[in-house]
Amino acid sequence: MRRICALVPLGDPAVADPFAAVAAAAAIAARSAGRVSAILLSREANADAAVAQAAREGAAEILLASHPALPEVPQTDHLLTAFAHLLRMEAHEGLVLLPAGPVGEELAARLALRLDAVPLGRCTDIAWDGRTLTARRPAYGGRAEAVLATEAPLCFAAMRRPVETSAPAADAPAVRAITLDVMLPGDLPPPEIREPAADRPRRPEGARIVVAGGRGMGGPEGFAQLRELAAVLDGAVGASLPAVDAGWAAVAQQVGQSGAFVTPELYLAIGLSGTPQHLAGIGLNTRIVAVNSDPEAEIFRVAELGLVAPWQEVLPKLIEKLRAP
Amino acid sequence: MEAVVLLAGVVDPKWRLDGLALRPGTALVEETGLPRRLSPFDEAALETALKLRDADPTVRVTAVLVGGPANNALLRAIAAFRPHRVFRFGGVALSLWDPLAAVRLLGAAAAAAVERPDLVLMGREFGDGDDGALPPALAEAQGWRFCGLAHAVSLAEDGAVTLRRVRGPREEVLRLRPPVLASITNDRGNRLRHPLLKNVMLAKREPIEVVAPPPDAPAAAPALALRDIAVVPPPTRGAGACRFLTGPVEAQVEELAAFLRRWRAAVGG
Repeated sequence: MRRICALVPLGDPAVADPFAAVAAAAAIAARSAGRVSAILLSREANADAAVAQAAREGAAEILLASHPALPEVPQTDHLLTAFAHLLRMEAHEGLVLLPAGPVGEELAARLALRLDAVPLGRCTDIAWDGRTLTARRPAYGGRAEAVLATEAPLCFAAMRRPVETSAPAADAPAVRAITLDVMLPGDLPPPEIREPAADRPRRPEGARIVVAGGRGMGGPEGFAQLRELAAVLDGAVGASLPAVDAGWAAVAQQVGQSGAFVTPELYLAIGLSGTPQHLAGIGLNTRIVAVNSDPEAEIFRVAELGLVAPWQEVLPKLIEKLRAP
Repeated sequence: MEAVVLLAGVVDPKWRLDGLALRPGTALVEETGLPRRLSPFDEAALETALKLRDADPTVRVTAVLVGGPANNALLRAIAAFRPHRVFRFGGVALSLWDPLAAVRLLGAAAAAAVERPDLVLMGREFGDGDDGALPPALAEAQGWRFCGLAHAVSLAEDGAVTLRRVRGPREEVLRLRPPVLASITNDRGNRLRHPLLKNVMLAKREPIEVVAPPPDAPAAAPALALRDIAVVPPPTRGAGACRFLTGPVEAQVEELAAFLRRWRAAVGG
């Protein structure tokens, strides 16, 4: 039986969905008669809730590894050292998955190099044909898909949570707990943390509604209105790459192939053309509503509701109407 | 301070890729006729290097464009920004799809620029085939400190490199001792400047420097082989055809507001 190992870094607020790799591994295992093992890395030895979640996500074997010397918010180099130590003991061959996102993707690439394995990147699908592993991943800014093959015994990939969830393992998972004493890098100065400004916009990940603007907003004034609308709807503001490039929105608000991947219930796209690069950052189950002055804009091909008008004629009235009791 | 900026370029995103495919019998993507330009992340990395040079006369910037002869026009565009040295690194057929081979190639490219770089800058994604794995993989292979997705870089008086990045819900400032590799993300603060016209003209006339990569192990099969590439249609979304609102804009806005009110009520907002 093929073993797929999912790594779960706990306690890092930069990892938005630490169990995504377990869910992705379970989906692959269901298609390939595989078995999912999850390695949870935490500062605390007591992580019952995390173990229970790994089981719900489909892990058949769970190793809870705690390292008391891990900082409260670990740096990637700490996670790298600890996971590399664990994998030398636990996984000499097979597929190792990490949650997609800056931390998981950096870890996947560096662990692969450190352990003489092959980094596959951020994949959308992985399957086997005999000994050959085939990985699919977006290329050309999400406009194309590359199919890559390897017979390497050990591979690392980052994956997002699949759209369809798998059932938990039929039997209760086998759970082990260990305390690590591997030496963590001691020469890493901790990063200085800048407190977020009081008016710093909410991040689009995790919001139930995202109000997003693109190049069509024409300037920062348009984004000020988007922020007002987002506040009325208790949502977050998102932006396309050109809007971030222009300085109208912060880089943390960038949604798309090269920005955040968001899965809100509703995505209100204002002045956004809807390039494949941008749409690649929006979950498939998200409903899209679009406002654009160009009736031929690509965004209307994926929206369920469309309003063709300049945003200047729409937003002030919309905010006023939604504010009215 | 020796700073090296590694640049890949991408196919101009405004061009359609309809015929994208592998060259018959090879693992190389057929890109003939498709214009190339710097990606937003390449541009951010280049501007970051230029800013460091402007702020400190001891900083020496070498720009390296990794790719074949199809990139010569792009190389001249980079030369117009007047880094201390600029060259193209690559032969006729070059593929970055195998990350282990790509890391060897990029390591050789940095070494061709300067024996011991203090700071290596790359865009957060390197070319059309990378999704961000190559910068950390290169740092790991070379034993350099790594900072991913930095949006601002400066040099401290003690020789450390100061890097700012947004990591999840917080902004971090890292101070790392060289050698450092930073992948740079796009930001208002690192939009690429416009070159001076006289420098554009100069760059058009100057000879191009090309450095050939060292021969790879001849029998080495790629650890990861590109089997196929194709344009994919956008994924199907559940909603189906878009329902366009009609009537005067005022009435359309009212209908949209009603839609949002219903949604807000349904989710308990």
